[in-house]
Amino acid sequence: MTSPLIYVESCPVCGDGLCRIRICVTNQRLTGLVLCDECETMWTDPSMQERIAPSSSETEPKCPTCNQSLWGDQSHWASIGEVCLLGWFDRVRIAKV
Amino acid sequence: MVSRKRTDTAINTLRMIPTKWAIVLVALLIGYVLLQPRLNQWLGWNLPSVASLVGDEKPTTKKEPKPTKEVVSKEKASEKVTGNVTENTSDKKTSDKKSEIAQASTTKTANRTNDPVPKDSAPKDSRPKDAAEDKIHGILKDLGRNRFESPEGLVYGPGSEEGHRLKHIERHLEDQPSRPGPHGVFDGDMKAFLVAIDRAFAMANKGAKGSSKKEDDGAVVYEATFEKPIGFLGGTDGKRRKNPALKKMRVVVRGKSVITAFPVQ
Repeated sequence: MTSPLIYVESCPVCGDGLCRIRICVTNQRLTGLVLCDECETMWTDPSMQERIAPSSSETEPKCPTCNQSLWGDQSHWASIGEVCLLGWFDRVRIAKV
Repeated sequence: MVSRKRTDTAINTLRMIPTKWAIVLVALLIGYVLLQPRLNQWLGWNLPSVASLVGDEKPTTKKEPKPTKEVVSKEKASEKVTGNVTENTSDKKTSDKKSEIAQASTTKTANRTNDPVPKDSAPKDSRPKDAAEDKIHGILKDLGRNRFESPEGLVYGPGSEEGHRLKHIERHLEDQPSRPGPHGVFDGDMKAFLVAIDRAFAMANKGAKGSSKKEDDGAVVYEATFEKPIGFLGGTDGKRRKNPALKKMRVVVRGKSVITAFPVQ
Protein backbone atom coordinates (compact mmCIF):
# COMPACT_ATOMS: atom_id res chain seq x y z
CA MET A 1 0.00 0.00 0.00
CA THR A 2 1.36 3.41 -0.91
CA SER A 3 1.19 6.25 1.58
CA PRO A 4 0.64 9.84 0.54
CA LEU A 5 3.63 12.12 0.81
CA ILE A 6 2.52 15.61 1.71
CA TYR A 7 4.91 18.40 0.88
CA VAL A 8 4.98 22.08 0.08
CA GLU A 9 7.85 22.21 -2.40
CA SER A 10 11.43 21.14 -2.95
CA CYS A 11 13.77 22.62 -0.40
CA PRO A 12 15.21 25.98 -1.49
CA VAL A 13 18.16 25.50 0.88
CA CYS A 14 19.55 22.07 0.03
CA GLY A 15 17.79 21.48 -3.28
CA ASP A 16 17.25 17.78 -2.69
CA GLY A 17 14.86 17.62 0.24
CA LEU A 18 11.12 18.01 0.38
CA CYS A 19 9.61 20.61 2.67
CA ARG A 20 7.02 18.60 4.54
CA ILE A 21 4.56 19.26 7.31
CA ARG A 22 5.83 18.04 10.66
CA ILE A 23 3.51 17.70 13.64
CA CYS A 24 4.54 17.80 17.28
CA VAL A 25 1.98 16.87 19.90
CA THR A 26 2.74 17.79 23.50
CA ASN A 27 0.14 17.96 26.25
CA GLN A 28 -2.60 17.54 23.65
CA ARG A 29 -1.37 20.66 21.91
CA LEU A 30 -0.62 20.25 18.23
CA THR A 31 2.13 22.27 16.62
CA GLY A 32 2.61 22.23 12.88
CA LEU A 33 5.60 23.48 10.97
CA VAL A 34 7.39 22.93 7.69
CA LEU A 35 10.54 20.83 7.86
CA CYS A 36 12.92 19.78 5.08
CA ASP A 37 13.29 16.00 5.25
CA GLU A 38 16.86 16.28 3.96
CA CYS A 39 18.64 19.26 5.53
CA GLU A 40 16.15 19.86 8.37
CA THR A 41 15.63 23.52 7.68
CA MET A 42 12.40 24.70 9.36
CA TRP A 43 9.75 27.25 8.49
CA THR A 44 6.79 28.37 10.54
CA ASP A 45 4.21 27.68 7.81
CA PRO A 46 3.81 26.71 4.13
CA SER A 47 4.30 30.28 2.95
CA MET A 48 7.94 29.60 3.85
CA GLN A 49 8.56 33.25 4.56
CA GLU A 50 9.77 32.81 8.12
CA ARG A 51 12.51 30.45 9.11
CA ILE A 52 12.85 28.88 12.53
CA ALA A 53 16.51 29.23 13.42
CA PRO A 54 17.99 26.42 15.44
CA SER A 55 20.60 27.22 18.06
CA SER A 56 24.14 26.77 16.85
CA SER A 57 24.80 23.79 19.11
CA GLU A 58 21.75 21.84 17.99
CA THR A 59 22.19 19.01 15.59
CA GLU A 60 18.54 18.04 15.68
CA PRO A 61 15.54 20.16 14.76
CA LYS A 62 13.47 21.07 17.80
CA CYS A 63 9.86 21.99 18.23
CA PRO A 64 9.59 25.75 18.89
CA THR A 65 6.72 25.10 21.29
CA CYS A 66 7.98 22.31 23.54
CA ASN A 67 11.69 22.36 22.61
CA GLN A 68 11.73 18.58 22.08
CA SER A 69 13.36 16.90 19.13
CA LEU A 70 11.19 16.75 16.05
CA TRP A 71 12.48 13.21 15.55
CA GLY A 72 11.11 12.18 18.95
CA ASP A 73 8.16 9.91 19.59
CA GLN A 74 5.81 12.85 20.10
CA SER A 75 6.40 13.99 16.52
CA HIS A 76 5.40 12.68 13.09
CA TRP A 77 4.74 13.69 9.48
CA ALA A 78 1.30 15.21 9.12
CA SER A 79 -1.63 13.25 7.79
CA ILE A 80 -4.09 14.83 5.35
CA GLY A 81 -6.49 15.32 8.28
CA GLU A 82 -3.90 17.16 10.32
CA VAL A 83 -3.00 19.36 7.35
CA CYS A 84 -6.69 20.24 7.03
CA LEU A 85 -6.84 20.94 10.76
CA LEU A 86 -3.96 23.38 10.41
CA GLY A 87 -5.76 25.05 7.49
CA TRP A 88 -2.86 24.31 5.13
CA PHE A 89 -4.48 21.84 2.74
CA ASP A 90 -4.61 24.31 -0.15
CA ARG A 91 -0.91 24.98 0.17
CA VAL A 92 0.42 21.46 -0.02
CA ARG A 93 0.95 18.88 -2.73
CA ILE A 94 0.27 15.22 -2.30
CA ALA A 95 2.32 12.53 -4.00
CA LYS A 96 2.03 8.77 -3.78
CA VAL A 97 5.35 7.08 -3.12
CA MET B 1 73.61 -50.60 -27.47
CA VAL B 2 71.22 -48.29 -29.21
CA SER B 3 73.27 -45.21 -28.24
CA ARG B 4 76.50 -46.75 -29.62
CA LYS B 5 74.79 -47.41 -32.93
CA ARG B 6 73.55 -43.81 -33.01
CA THR B 7 77.07 -42.46 -32.27
CA ASP B 8 78.54 -44.58 -35.08
CA THR B 9 75.86 -43.34 -37.44
CA ALA B 10 76.67 -39.72 -36.53
CA ILE B 11 80.41 -40.26 -37.11
CA ASN B 12 79.72 -41.90 -40.47
CA THR B 13 77.49 -38.97 -41.43
CA LEU B 14 80.27 -36.52 -40.48
CA ARG B 15 82.73 -38.44 -42.66
CA MET B 16 80.41 -38.00 -45.63
CA ILE B 17 80.26 -34.19 -45.43
CA PRO B 18 83.15 -31.85 -46.39
CA THR B 19 85.79 -31.20 -43.69
CA LYS B 20 85.11 -27.50 -43.28
CA TRP B 21 81.38 -28.11 -42.70
CA ALA B 22 82.21 -30.89 -40.29
CA ILE B 23 84.40 -28.48 -38.28
CA VAL B 24 81.59 -25.91 -38.21
CA LEU B 25 79.09 -28.53 -37.03
CA VAL B 26 81.45 -29.80 -34.32
CA ALA B 27 82.07 -26.21 -33.17
CA LEU B 28 78.35 -25.57 -33.02
CA LEU B 29 77.88 -28.81 -31.11
CA ILE B 30 80.55 -27.88 -28.56
CA GLY B 31 79.02 -24.43 -28.23
CA TYR B 32 75.62 -25.96 -27.61
CA VAL B 33 77.01 -28.37 -25.01
CA LEU B 34 78.63 -25.49 -23.14
CA LEU B 35 75.76 -23.04 -23.41
CA GLN B 36 72.72 -25.33 -22.99
CA PRO B 37 72.71 -25.59 -19.18
CA ARG B 38 73.46 -21.91 -18.75
CA LEU B 39 70.77 -20.83 -21.21
CA ASN B 40 68.29 -23.04 -19.35
CA GLN B 41 69.39 -21.47 -16.10
CA TRP B 42 69.46 -17.85 -17.24
CA LEU B 43 66.48 -17.73 -19.55
CA GLY B 44 64.34 -20.43 -18.00
CA TRP B 45 64.35 -22.44 -21.23
CA ASN B 46 64.13 -26.18 -21.38
CA LEU B 47 66.72 -27.03 -24.05
CA PRO B 48 67.54 -30.74 -24.10
CA SER B 49 71.09 -31.77 -23.32
CA VAL B 50 73.22 -33.45 -26.00
CA ALA B 51 73.17 -36.62 -23.94
CA SER B 52 69.39 -36.65 -23.93
CA LEU B 53 69.37 -36.02 -27.68
CA VAL B 54 71.68 -38.96 -28.17
CA GLY B 55 69.40 -40.99 -25.93
CA ASP B 56 71.52 -41.53 -22.80
CA GLU B 57 69.52 -39.25 -20.61
CA LYS B 58 65.89 -38.28 -20.28
CA PRO B 59 65.09 -34.67 -21.11
CA THR B 60 64.91 -32.56 -17.97
CA THR B 61 61.61 -30.97 -17.17
CA LYS B 62 61.74 -27.74 -15.33
CA LYS B 63 60.24 -28.31 -11.93
CA GLU B 64 58.96 -25.08 -10.56
CA PRO B 65 57.58 -24.93 -7.09
CA LYS B 66 53.80 -24.68 -7.05
CA PRO B 67 53.19 -22.29 -4.24
CA THR B 68 50.76 -20.20 -6.27
CA LYS B 69 48.00 -22.74 -6.40
CA GLU B 70 48.52 -23.72 -2.79
CA VAL B 71 48.53 -20.14 -1.66
CA VAL B 72 45.41 -19.41 -3.66
CA SER B 73 43.64 -22.40 -2.18
CA LYS B 74 44.77 -21.37 1.27
CA GLU B 75 43.55 -17.88 0.64
CA LYS B 76 40.20 -19.22 -0.39
CA ALA B 77 40.12 -21.41 2.67
CA SER B 78 41.01 -18.56 4.94
CA GLU B 79 38.37 -16.39 3.31
CA LYS B 80 35.80 -19.00 4.14
CA VAL B 81 37.06 -19.08 7.69
CA THR B 82 36.58 -15.28 7.75
CA GLY B 83 39.56 -14.29 9.75
CA ASN B 84 39.93 -17.39 11.88
CA VAL B 85 43.61 -18.31 11.87
CA THR B 86 43.14 -21.86 13.17
CA GLU B 87 43.63 -23.63 9.88
CA ASN B 88 45.76 -26.60 8.83
CA THR B 89 49.43 -26.11 9.72
CA SER B 90 50.86 -29.22 8.07
CA ASP B 91 52.23 -27.54 4.97
CA LYS B 92 55.61 -26.08 5.84
CA LYS B 93 56.03 -24.17 2.58
CA THR B 94 52.88 -22.17 3.08
CA SER B 95 53.09 -21.80 6.81
CA ASP B 96 55.11 -18.61 6.54
CA LYS B 97 52.40 -17.06 4.42
CA LYS B 98 49.65 -17.88 6.86
CA SER B 99 49.70 -14.82 8.99
CA GLU B 100 49.80 -12.70 5.87
CA ILE B 101 46.84 -14.49 4.33
CA ALA B 102 44.87 -14.48 7.55
CA GLN B 103 45.49 -10.79 7.85
CA ALA B 104 44.38 -10.26 4.30
CA SER B 105 41.20 -12.20 4.84
CA THR B 106 40.50 -10.24 7.99
CA THR B 107 40.92 -7.08 5.98
CA LYS B 108 38.61 -8.35 3.29
CA THR B 109 36.05 -9.34 5.89
CA ALA B 110 36.27 -5.97 7.52
CA ASN B 111 35.91 -4.21 4.21
CA ARG B 112 32.83 -6.19 3.39
CA THR B 113 30.97 -4.92 6.42
CA ASN B 114 29.01 -2.21 4.72
CA ASP B 115 26.03 -2.58 6.97
CA PRO B 116 24.66 0.70 8.16
CA VAL B 117 24.93 1.54 11.80
CA PRO B 118 21.86 0.43 13.73
CA LYS B 119 19.52 3.12 14.89
CA ASP B 120 19.85 2.70 18.57
CA SER B 121 23.20 1.11 19.21
CA ALA B 122 26.82 1.34 18.32
CA PRO B 123 27.97 -1.49 16.10
CA LYS B 124 28.93 -4.58 18.06
CA ASP B 125 31.63 -6.11 16.01
CA SER B 126 33.80 -9.10 16.59
CA ARG B 127 36.70 -7.72 14.58
CA PRO B 128 40.13 -7.44 16.15
CA LYS B 129 40.34 -4.28 18.15
CA ASP B 130 43.97 -3.59 17.29
CA ALA B 131 43.41 -3.86 13.54
CA ALA B 132 43.38 -0.75 11.37
CA GLU B 133 40.01 -1.89 10.10
CA ASP B 134 38.46 -1.49 13.51
CA LYS B 135 36.56 1.36 11.97
CA ILE B 136 33.04 1.77 10.73
CA HIS B 137 32.85 1.40 6.96
CA GLY B 138 36.64 1.22 6.96
CA ILE B 139 37.22 4.92 7.63
CA LEU B 140 35.09 6.16 10.54
CA LYS B 141 36.58 6.32 14.00
CA ASP B 142 34.27 5.43 16.87
CA LEU B 143 33.94 8.38 19.23
CA GLY B 144 31.50 6.61 21.53
CA ARG B 145 27.81 7.33 22.11
CA ASN B 146 27.07 6.20 18.58
CA ARG B 147 29.11 9.01 17.05
CA PHE B 148 31.70 8.39 14.35
CA GLU B 149 34.38 10.67 12.99
CA SER B 150 35.75 10.74 9.45
CA PRO B 151 39.43 11.40 8.63
CA GLU B 152 38.51 15.02 7.76
CA GLY B 153 36.83 15.48 11.14
CA LEU B 154 33.20 15.22 10.06
CA VAL B 155 31.00 13.61 12.69
CA TYR B 156 28.13 11.24 11.98
CA GLY B 157 25.88 10.85 14.98
CA PRO B 158 22.32 10.16 16.05
CA GLY B 159 19.68 12.25 14.36
CA SER B 160 17.37 12.50 11.37
CA GLU B 161 14.18 10.63 10.72
CA GLU B 162 16.12 7.40 10.30
CA GLY B 163 17.69 7.70 13.76
CA HIS B 164 21.29 8.06 12.61
CA ARG B 165 22.98 10.28 10.06
CA LEU B 166 24.68 7.31 8.45
CA LYS B 167 21.28 5.73 7.91
CA HIS B 168 20.02 8.99 6.54
CA ILE B 169 22.73 9.49 3.95
CA GLU B 170 22.40 5.83 3.01
CA ARG B 171 19.15 6.84 1.29
CA HIS B 172 21.34 8.36 -1.39
CA LEU B 173 22.85 5.04 -2.38
CA GLU B 174 19.63 4.10 -4.14
CA ASP B 175 17.20 5.86 -6.39
CA GLN B 176 13.68 6.63 -5.25
CA PRO B 177 12.04 7.02 -8.66
CA SER B 178 8.64 7.95 -7.25
CA ARG B 179 9.95 10.59 -4.84
CA PRO B 180 8.85 14.03 -6.03
CA GLY B 181 11.59 16.35 -7.24
CA PRO B 182 15.28 15.56 -7.48
CA HIS B 183 17.03 12.82 -5.55
CA GLY B 184 20.81 12.66 -5.87
CA VAL B 185 22.08 9.10 -6.01
CA PHE B 186 25.71 8.22 -5.31
CA ASP B 187 27.15 5.55 -7.55
CA GLY B 188 29.12 3.34 -5.15
CA ASP B 189 29.01 1.74 -1.76
CA MET B 190 28.84 3.39 1.64
CA LYS B 191 32.60 3.46 2.12
CA ALA B 192 33.15 5.17 -1.23
CA PHE B 193 30.34 7.58 -0.43
CA LEU B 194 31.92 8.54 2.91
CA VAL B 195 35.30 9.01 1.22
CA ALA B 196 33.71 11.23 -1.45
CA ILE B 197 31.91 13.29 1.21
CA ASP B 198 35.20 13.81 3.03
CA ARG B 199 36.90 14.79 -0.20
CA ALA B 200 34.16 17.24 -1.14
CA PHE B 201 34.37 18.78 2.34
CA ALA B 202 38.15 19.15 2.06
CA MET B 203 37.95 20.57 -1.47
CA ALA B 204 35.35 23.15 -0.45
CA ASN B 205 37.39 24.14 2.60
CA LYS B 206 40.44 24.67 0.42
CA GLY B 207 38.44 26.68 -2.09
CA ALA B 208 39.19 24.28 -4.91
CA LYS B 209 37.90 25.02 -8.40
CA GLY B 210 34.17 24.36 -8.69
CA SER B 211 33.68 24.32 -4.94
CA SER B 212 31.81 26.60 -2.58
CA LYS B 213 31.04 27.06 1.09
CA LYS B 214 27.91 28.92 2.19
CA GLU B 215 26.63 29.57 5.67
CA ASP B 216 22.93 29.28 6.21
CA ASP B 217 21.40 29.82 9.66
CA GLY B 218 24.03 27.90 11.58
CA ALA B 219 24.44 25.24 8.93
CA VAL B 220 27.20 25.32 6.34
CA VAL B 221 26.54 23.99 2.86
CA TYR B 222 29.70 22.70 1.18
CA GLU B 223 29.82 21.92 -2.50
CA ALA B 224 32.56 20.47 -4.62
CA THR B 225 32.78 19.38 -8.21
CA PHE B 226 34.55 16.14 -9.03
CA GLU B 227 36.37 15.43 -12.26
CA LYS B 228 34.23 12.45 -13.07
CA PRO B 229 30.57 11.67 -12.39
CA ILE B 230 29.94 10.41 -8.87
CA GLY B 231 26.30 9.53 -9.31
CA PHE B 232 23.12 10.39 -11.11
CA LEU B 233 19.95 12.34 -10.68
CA GLY B 234 17.10 10.21 -9.40
CA GLY B 235 13.60 10.92 -8.12
CA THR B 236 10.82 12.02 -10.44
CA ASP B 237 13.02 14.82 -11.82
CA GLY B 238 15.76 12.36 -12.63
CA LYS B 239 13.34 9.91 -14.20
CA ARG B 240 11.88 12.64 -16.38
CA ARG B 241 15.35 13.75 -17.50
CA LYS B 242 16.66 10.22 -18.04
CA ASN B 243 18.87 10.18 -14.94
CA PRO B 244 21.70 12.51 -15.97
CA ALA B 245 25.11 11.96 -14.41
CA LEU B 246 26.14 14.18 -11.50
CA LYS B 247 29.62 15.42 -10.72
CA LYS B 248 28.90 17.64 -7.75
CA MET B 249 28.58 16.71 -4.08
CA ARG B 250 26.70 18.83 -1.55
CA VAL B 251 27.37 18.36 2.16
CA VAL B 252 25.27 20.07 4.84
CA VAL B 253 27.13 20.38 8.13
CA ARG B 254 26.16 21.88 11.46
CA GLY B 255 29.22 22.42 13.63
CA LYS B 256 31.16 19.30 12.77
CA SER B 257 28.06 17.15 12.46
CA VAL B 258 26.95 16.02 9.05
CA ILE B 259 23.24 16.66 8.55
CA THR B 260 23.09 15.26 5.05
CA ALA B 261 25.14 14.78 1.90
CA PHE B 262 24.23 13.84 -1.65
CA PRO B 263 25.27 14.24 -5.28
CA VAL B 264 23.67 17.24 -6.89
CA GLN B 265 23.53 18.90 -10.28
